[in-house]
Amino acid sequence: MSALARIGLCLLNAGVGLLVSPLFEGLTRKLKAALQSRIGPPVYQPYLDLLKLLGKEDLRTSRGFFDAAGPALSLGFVLLLALLAPMGGPPPLAFAGDVVALLYVATAAAAVLVLTGYASGSAYAFVGGSREIMLLLTVEPVMAVALVVGVFKARTLTVSGLLAWQAAQGPTISMAIAALAFFLALQAQAGRIPFDIAEADQELMGGPLVEQSGPRLALFRWAMWARQLVLSFVLVELFLPWPRVGVLSLDLLLALLKVAVVLALVTVVDVVNPRLRVDQALGYYLRVVFGALAGLAFAVIGM
Amino acid sequence: MSTAADRAGVRQRIEALLRADGGRMRLTDRAGDFLFEPQADTLHVKVEREAVRRTAAALVADLGARFLVTVGTDRRPLAGDYGIVHLFSLDAEQLFVALDCGVDSGDARIDSITPVVPAAAWAEREFRDAVGVVPEGHPDPRRLMLADDWPEGLYPLRRDVPHDLKPPATEGVRPPMKAPPPGTSVVAVGPFFPVLEEPSCWRLFVDGERIVGCDYRGFYNHRGIEKLGDTVLTYGQIPFLAERICGICGFIHSTCYCQAVEKAAGIEVPRRGRYLRTIMLELERIHSHLLWLGIAGHIIGFDAVLMQAWRIREPVMWLCEAISGNRKTYGMNTVGGLRRDLAPEMKPRVLEVLGPVEKESLAVREAILGDTTLIARTRDVGPLPPETARALGVVGPPARASGLRIDARLDHPYAAYDEIVPHLCLQEGGDTWSRVLVRVEELLDSVRLVREALAALPDGTVLADVGEDVPADRMAISVVEAPRGEAVHYLLTGGDNRPYRWRVRAPSYPNLQAMPAMVQGQTIADVPITLGSLDPCFSCTERVEAVDVRTRTVRVYEPAELRELAQRKRGPS
Repeated sequence: MSALARIGLCLLNAGVGLLVSPLFEGLTRKLKAALQSRIGPPVYQPYLDLLKLLGKEDLRTSRGFFDAAGPALSLGFVLLLALLAPMGGPPPLAFAGDVVALLYVATAAAAVLVLTGYASGSAYAFVGGSREIMLLLTVEPVMAVALVVGVFKARTLTVSGLLAWQAAQGPTISMAIAALAFFLALQAQAGRIPFDIAEADQELMGGPLVEQSGPRLALFRWAMWARQLVLSFVLVELFLPWPRVGVLSLDLLLALLKVAVVLALVTVVDVVNPRLRVDQALGYYLRVVFGALAGLAFAVIGM
Repeated sequence: MSTAADRAGVRQRIEALLRADGGRMRLTDRAGDFLFEPQADTLHVKVEREAVRRTAAALVADLGARFLVTVGTDRRPLAGDYGIVHLFSLDAEQLFVALDCGVDSGDARIDSITPVVPAAAWAEREFRDAVGVVPEGHPDPRRLMLADDWPEGLYPLRRDVPHDLKPPATEGVRPPMKAPPPGTSVVAVGPFFPVLEEPSCWRLFVDGERIVGCDYRGFYNHRGIEKLGDTVLTYGQIPFLAERICGICGFIHSTCYCQAVEKAAGIEVPRRGRYLRTIMLELERIHSHLLWLGIAGHIIGFDAVLMQAWRIREPVMWLCEAISGNRKTYGMNTVGGLRRDLAPEMKPRVLEVLGPVEKESLAVREAILGDTTLIARTRDVGPLPPETARALGVVGPPARASGLRIDARLDHPYAAYDEIVPHLCLQEGGDTWSRVLVRVEELLDSVRLVREALAALPDGTVLADVGEDVPADRMAISVVEAPRGEAVHYLLTGGDNRPYRWRVRAPSYPNLQAMPAMVQGQTIADVPITLGSLDPCFSCTERVEAVDVRTRTVRVYEPAELRELAQRKRGPS
């Protein structure tokens, strides 16, 4: 890949992650409203939310490092995640072992939010933060095992290698199980009911976000929307890449459609469930991990 | 109604109690024997100060009486004492017992009954605040309902305190809260919290996510309603104020008040009036339970239930508006019956609305019963064993969900409930899930009751001819089963066309007192739904007489000031 093409691809991925993610958030809100017999806000409402919050005064409850840098760091990690993820084409930032980096960067974005919450000193943020950490510690293994299945099958530790192998190989039982596990993990990664336990508006008034407002809240929200979009891309590109046309614009369009379906499913699950308690959620993901390990077992016997 | 045989039986048992106590109690249910003339459904027991705790214990333990509330009255102009009247209900005999103790105004102390009747905890703190009689031996003698900066020694319900008194505000006063146990931290739920529609402050003592104790400070919504009732308003005006005690069960409170006056004055409400009251009461239960179902769903993040339940509820509100002119706060009740009849063309309309409500509620019930995640969030959450519920005087759906057979509509029939008989919706689980089931069953039963009442609706007038003045010095107790439980109104008639004392006990008053027992050992995540499962109504509970002077002062903060305040709070301390 030429340097110019790589820069172009970087811009494309970052642009999709930043500019398209509020649109998907708006679409999920609209779908949620429809399922609840409501009209719902206009599809472009998240853009207005961001604009409004960005224009507000920056009020802070403390003057620590995370209060100053947390929001930008969080969004920064999500942008980095977008550069590591395939969106129609190969990931713009590719190097040996970037699958591992992908996992780390995805977690880092969430961890920054938790640390900022801790720094704010609110009791709600503490409780919400510890819930988020517990949840991350059980959901990360699910995603890791799902990716390891691919790594094992494709014998490569690069995202582009995985993508190429899966596109050429076609569906297998082990990858189908891994895809399902990754999808179930996405529900918690996107902070959706029944796993929005860390924020739990009715219990913790937003948990780690409780003291965030104005532009800082905007950046955190933006980071969360972008993160859910990028992780959906990872799911559809690595596990369901077919059909692969080879033309960037067409492949991107196809991926966006698949992402829309994935997020619609996530939203339906969100609407038809109440929030779980954190212990119940941990028990659930423990079972999912074992399910994902079954996928790995299939991979070992070559299915 | 209670039969003569029942009454005689209870009388004998109480007389046996009296004999055992060496004459320190007197049964005074005969006219002329005491200052106040009680009603046929009430046994008036006069008891000396030293015997009050023993008698209360015996009433509960030997006769199975259920504590309702305590009324503290400044009776100095009448009898030269403060009257402390503990009210009990004998549900099986359909009788009330008023345990009346006169406290010498020079030595305003009385034995607390809370050590033997835990349900009396708040009621005793309240008469301490309001009339200044000290309940000695009370385990938690802190202020209950007065504002924190209300001056000591000023008792708002005393007759010589004007209703519009405004003591000067004091800055920086904090309520005495319990210290958290060592090794725990405090998570505050309130005074303002997203899922509590009204201010109320729970301080949870937590170890990680687990709750090891809690403390409560409430009564932020004082509106001085009882004081207004016996100083400013007249019998005919109070129904409109009583209706405003609660934004959801307003008709319940106006009915309960009107029934008390009707009882005291011997007014017979026409049969059609009683039937219409039943219909409105049950319509109120339908929309209240749907409202609750929605809120409960919202609390556990199940907004689909919120949206659907409230969509189903809305036509009921429109129906109430068509009947009365208002979605809520109907203004229909008055002493002697109703101010507004049900128009003939409304009858089919009511049935038209009830059909879809029933059908969709059944669908919601089906959805709920099969929802394993919902069950996981509510089963064994907020446990309330029957003996605890009984001891703390819990009423309504939370009591019935713990297997207590209590329903004011059956225990003390009023309106048309002697002819239109409700079904007692019982569950044994004593958890939040059981409380959901009880309410859903009651919702469907209310639909049936409205239909039956409509079918049997008699002709005639809806308002009795109330000619004479209400006679003075009569006492009446009236109960109504609100959606949240039993509401109690106590009335002592006065001479100037207004009550001498009007005491309101909303169902949330006893139910909220069960909250500490219910959250013990639970996690933070369970607290909102546990509190929600009581369907608490803070404003109703806090109808009492103090005026919070602090809320009168309005101060506008500049953004810089606010920021400084916020940072100062966060700073090293």
